[in-house]
Amino acid sequence: MAWKMDNPLYSLSDEQEQQDILKKWGEERMGGLIHPANNRLPFPLTFLIALIILTAFLITMPIWGQRPTAELYKVHVELMNTPEVERLTTPEEKMKYLDAEAMKRSASHPDSRNKGQLERHPIFWDDLLNLAPQIIELQKQTKYPLDNFTVVGDKIVLANFEGNIRADGVRERLQPWWDRGYTIDVFYVSYYCLWMVIMIKRLPHFSKKPQIPAY
Amino acid sequence: MAFKEYRLGSAMVGGALGLSMIITIFMPSFDLRSAVSTKMALEKQLSAGFDVGFGYADPLLLGINRPLTVVLDADPKTGAKFDPPVTAYIYKPGVPMPPNVRHPHDLGKGVEDLSEGLGQIGSVSGSNHSVGQREGVVFTIGLGEFDGEEVSYIENATATRGWTPDATLAAAGDKNTFKISQGKTEFVVQGCWWCHTLLPEQTQDWQVFGAPPYLGDFNGENPTAFGSDRKAPDLLHVGSRNSSREWMLLHFFNPRLVQVNSIMPRFDYLWGEKDAQGNVIDYDKWRAEYLEYANGKRVYPPEVPDYAPDSEIRALIDWVLSLK
Amino acid sequence: MLLKYLTGKNEDIPAGSSAIFFGFSSIFWFVVGTGLGSFNAAKLAFPDFVTGTELFAFGHMRQVHVLAVIVGWISMAFAMTMMYMTPALGNTKLWSEKLGLWTGMMWNIGLSTALFSLWIGITSGREYSDFAWPLDLVILLGVITPLCVNVIMTIAHRRTQGIYITNWFFGSCTFMVGIVLLVGNSPEYFHLTGLSEAYLTWWNAHNLLGLWITPVAAAIAYYTIPKLTGNPLYSHRIGHMHFWSIIVFYSTPASHHIMSSPIPEWLKSFASVEGVLILIPAVAFVANILLTMKGKWTLFVENIETKFSMTGVLLAVPLNMQGGFQQTRSINWYIHGTGWIVAHAHLALLGMSTFLEIAAVYFGLQQMLKRKVYSLALANIHYWFVLIGFCIYWISMTIAGLIQGAGKIYEVPYIDVVIAEHPYMIARWVGGTMVFTGNLVWLFNMWMTARVGTLVPEGRYAHELAYDR
Repeated sequence: MAWKMDNPLYSLSDEQEQQDILKKWGEERMGGLIHPANNRLPFPLTFLIALIILTAFLITMPIWGQRPTAELYKVHVELMNTPEVERLTTPEEKMKYLDAEAMKRSASHPDSRNKGQLERHPIFWDDLLNLAPQIIELQKQTKYPLDNFTVVGDKIVLANFEGNIRADGVRERLQPWWDRGYTIDVFYVSYYCLWMVIMIKRLPHFSKKPQIPAY
Repeated sequence: MAFKEYRLGSAMVGGALGLSMIITIFMPSFDLRSAVSTKMALEKQLSAGFDVGFGYADPLLLGINRPLTVVLDADPKTGAKFDPPVTAYIYKPGVPMPPNVRHPHDLGKGVEDLSEGLGQIGSVSGSNHSVGQREGVVFTIGLGEFDGEEVSYIENATATRGWTPDATLAAAGDKNTFKISQGKTEFVVQGCWWCHTLLPEQTQDWQVFGAPPYLGDFNGENPTAFGSDRKAPDLLHVGSRNSSREWMLLHFFNPRLVQVNSIMPRFDYLWGEKDAQGNVIDYDKWRAEYLEYANGKRVYPPEVPDYAPDSEIRALIDWVLSLK
Repeated sequence: MLLKYLTGKNEDIPAGSSAIFFGFSSIFWFVVGTGLGSFNAAKLAFPDFVTGTELFAFGHMRQVHVLAVIVGWISMAFAMTMMYMTPALGNTKLWSEKLGLWTGMMWNIGLSTALFSLWIGITSGREYSDFAWPLDLVILLGVITPLCVNVIMTIAHRRTQGIYITNWFFGSCTFMVGIVLLVGNSPEYFHLTGLSEAYLTWWNAHNLLGLWITPVAAAIAYYTIPKLTGNPLYSHRIGHMHFWSIIVFYSTPASHHIMSSPIPEWLKSFASVEGVLILIPAVAFVANILLTMKGKWTLFVENIETKFSMTGVLLAVPLNMQGGFQQTRSINWYIHGTGWIVAHAHLALLGMSTFLEIAAVYFGLQQMLKRKVYSLALANIHYWFVLIGFCIYWISMTIAGLIQGAGKIYEVPYIDVVIAEHPYMIARWVGGTMVFTGNLVWLFNMWMTARVGTLVPEGRYAHELAYDR
């Protein structure tokens, strides 16, 4: 169990131990099988695993697949009773106008995420009629801003997220960048990678092959 | 890796599994346990009772030892009229207390306090639950205020209003009695949930199937039976979409009577042997006549028999219509 | 003879008896399970097929099919491979053949009882743990525990210094599946309710797949492929990578099965990252086996066991690509609860793991019976029937799932979705029936092998001999 730390990327075991392991691997026949070869992790595999870890975090980022917030339809609600909208006769036309307006406004704020969200979460006139009074009601309260509410079904509810604590002691209901789940994931994956590196580097270096005795 | 390190390896397996269980079971248990029961949850658990799956009180899932849900027009004790009608949940002697009456803490903050205070469930809850099971209780759902918010709570009407199970049942009459608990058992036993889910999804699903449930909507429900493989409409709010008992009757007897393209099985066997008038139901004749109808040799399908009051289909329809 | 062994002394029981017993039991349950599957599929395609009786209603049959296949076929085939691979890899005998036979006996009796009670409607109403809890306890204490003891004691009594990778998996998975059954059924033992019950139901279901079916199936390939090809396993390191990532990542994403329920959002975030990371063991496993095949790819065509094994390994690729990504928030909302998931579940159980097990059961039964398989032609018929049947099933259900998903998102009236799915339901029935037919052929083939298969000389392997028929 001798550790050798001077060249950790080569092997963490000393030369003698590596030789011992290789000798045993060469001699042993488990169920008539030759011991698994001492090949390195192929580079494409290492690359693939790095890619998977990266993908795992990217594809599950909060910005993807989120439910719409009440904030998203604020412009719709604001404009739905204006003369411009009332002039339009069919619900489709009304929605087309409102969507375009909402898009235009969000485009004028370059940091707004609303544009993509609006595309992913289209809304119909009937639903808007249902949601509008609730959104108006929510704008009267000051405890939570509109984007802390999620549109779920035909109701608007306080989102389930546990975000930063604001100066006034209220916890934001936005998914924070440090979402508890992601944070645990980061540590979890790090422990795995660390364990794997130690595990693999304790093995004899891949340039050495098991010493298979001649029969 | 040297061979002597297998011991370390085994420990690491245990450690990794333990860590994953801490994260996936221990940590979320705090969030899940802190859920506050909504009115929907109280209605569901009071009407369903302790168990609708396998349990001590009804190991063969025959629908025995179950609470009954009744709708009362008048107070069974004083005779005073109710407007709107009041729903009461009758636990006759021998029926186990509902889960969160046994464990009031799981009702959540506020609901627990009001149920134990105004609702007076203390005499049948916690360690006293066997008293309630022995003597029988009538529950209702009350509405009170906690921390400035309206909260529904469980009320022990036997203690607060002196309603006894027998008197309440008699006051309601068979017409206003609903076997919801047995109905949910039928839902589980007949495998309805292999096709009909009980979970409108949180994304785009709700326009047709109604509001998705919230955190506190499940407290005390066992089993939740969400279902995973939806081959048919979601049922969580089916009673709001379709409240016609006659439609249900036709549809359960043979779904093709009301929906030609339905792939739902026929549940005519839930009618049992006799119909409402006590006549023996001749299934062979009915099927033969239906076949003629399906083949175009008859103009009208045969009449669907009315169900007997103690038939299984009655319980199932009672439950389906209770899903508002 | 079985009775004599069950009551006799352990030393008098010939080595391999329990493997043979488990092998034939598993094939029997496979025939039963796929027969039920075919019957159920017929009911979905033609709703008035066998109608009007309670016991033959779809709702009474569906879960019997699922559990007959999982507990009967897949898990018994696992037990069968453990009974012969574990001792072989330790250059020793099974710790107790008698215990092995008793386990098999308990398994058949317990499973028959449990399936019968489920069939007549005694259920807990929790998917994948449908049995009433006393029967869950019987399975845990009467079946899984003795199996675990036997496997771990055999490994402890090995006559080698090292433990082969297959045995790492066998030892740890038999242990972990016991823990999973213990914890996963706790809602029934302790009457937990509400979301805790829902969550633990899926925790149980997920971990049965993640810590039992997937890793043990992969472990089997680590034995069969090097054995059949004569090549050493490509890399010890990748084996480590596979083993540890299974334990670390596969045990965590349970909540991704109920992404659309109101469980805490952080739990969903956690699970969906872990869910994608399941691809790590998957690529490690597939890479290791494919690289082991180097220079021996002709066996994929020539040798029936390799054919089955490699098909299973190749099916792990689409399986894990689906599995990794379909559970993320961005995709799950579309396909959740649709036929896509049914297709995916069959890809895992009927595709990847069944093919690997069929190979191991073929190999093991020939080895233990010391007889060459009766007919190559029948074995090939078996292969093609199962493969084509599975593909028809998988493709048709995937398409049906996408239709359902579209119907869900675009608010199509549900009955139109049912109409649109109908052709695929018929295809599903055709596919399932082909699998069932193939398995009947297999049962006949193995029965004939046991009776009249050519004897394999001492010290030789069945796969080294030429086929007779």
